[in-house]
Amino acid sequence: MASKDQCNYKEGPLPSCAPLALGTIPMQQGAEPAYDKNEALVKGTLFPGLDLPFMDYVAAGTLENVPLYELMALDFVTQELALYLDTHADDKEAFETWKCFKELAEEGRRRYAKQYGPITRAQTAMFDSWVWPDEPWPWEYLANGGNG
Amino acid sequence: MFIYEKKLQYPVRIKNPNPRLAKFIISQYGGPDGELGASMRYLSQRYSMPYPELKTVLTDIGTEELGHLEMVAAIVHQLTRNMTVEEVKAAGMEDYFVDHTAGVYLQAAAGWPWNAATIAVKGDVIADLTEDMGAEQKARVTYDNILRLADDPDVIDVIRFLREREVVHFQRFGEALRLATDRMDQRNVYAVNPAFDR
Repeated sequence: MASKDQCNYKEGPLPSCAPLALGTIPMQQGAEPAYDKNEALVKGTLFPGLDLPFMDYVAAGTLENVPLYELMALDFVTQELALYLDTHADDKEAFETWKCFKELAEEGRRRYAKQYGPITRAQTAMFDSWVWPDEPWPWEYLANGGNG
Repeated sequence: MFIYEKKLQYPVRIKNPNPRLAKFIISQYGGPDGELGASMRYLSQRYSMPYPELKTVLTDIGTEELGHLEMVAAIVHQLTRNMTVEEVKAAGMEDYFVDHTAGVYLQAAAGWPWNAATIAVKGDVIADLTEDMGAEQKARVTYDNILRLADDPDVIDVIRFLREREVVHFQRFGEALRLATDRMDQRNVYAVNPAFDR
């Protein structure tokens, strides 16, 4: 086994011997380094090591600081860490980070729903009437921070 | 059970409708390497996957792909919103329009409806995970090609995001294959199919 120290964050260790006739992908070594949540969302990954853009199609900056994008960023980090944990179940530190983000995302979802309407059908129970059908639905321009 | 969330994973906000772009981006909705096929492939492969950590990878990625399916639909929908017959003609979109008007249909750019023949569920751990790695690469290339063709920054921004997700998913399926290999006989992983031979 190659020592962890020999690999940088864009690489992962491989077994010194591996079976023939089988694909062998290096394991990601850890959940660090990681982007800040807003940068992660716009890049499409939490992990600089996996940030492999096509040509010069690189994300510029981050999205505007609005409640919807803040919530999307929290949910995105939660999702990205979950996929990482699926193949790194023993990474206790990443699990703790995931729990923190999951809490923040749930709290953010509650706050967002109160102000802008339910994100899940169950959240409609916060309201005085059946507002679940209210526009805009997520595929509309206006639902995504578009204006005009 | 699936619970719907009334928001996208990443914002789709396309200022300028442009049916010309919708004509080929729709391939990632119902084309051979599109998001529907991705989701159905992974979610369907779960039932014969013997190892809990790999059922999880297939479930979590298969579910995320459903979110991407909705994002691609949102792109097509916004690119074709309020379009006039003149715009349909100018975009050369008559062939699509005659069958679907401004609806979003599951088809490849060349017009073929979505076909389960574009995906595989082999019921074998190595074959299915290796298929999934190939599938992520094919989807990534399709997004590369869309980036080559698209000239609207609002579209490019979302496609770039979706493409990067394919890179991350490829890594996870590669790691899943490593985890599967660890559970199998290292001298000959082909001696059995743990999804079938007990």
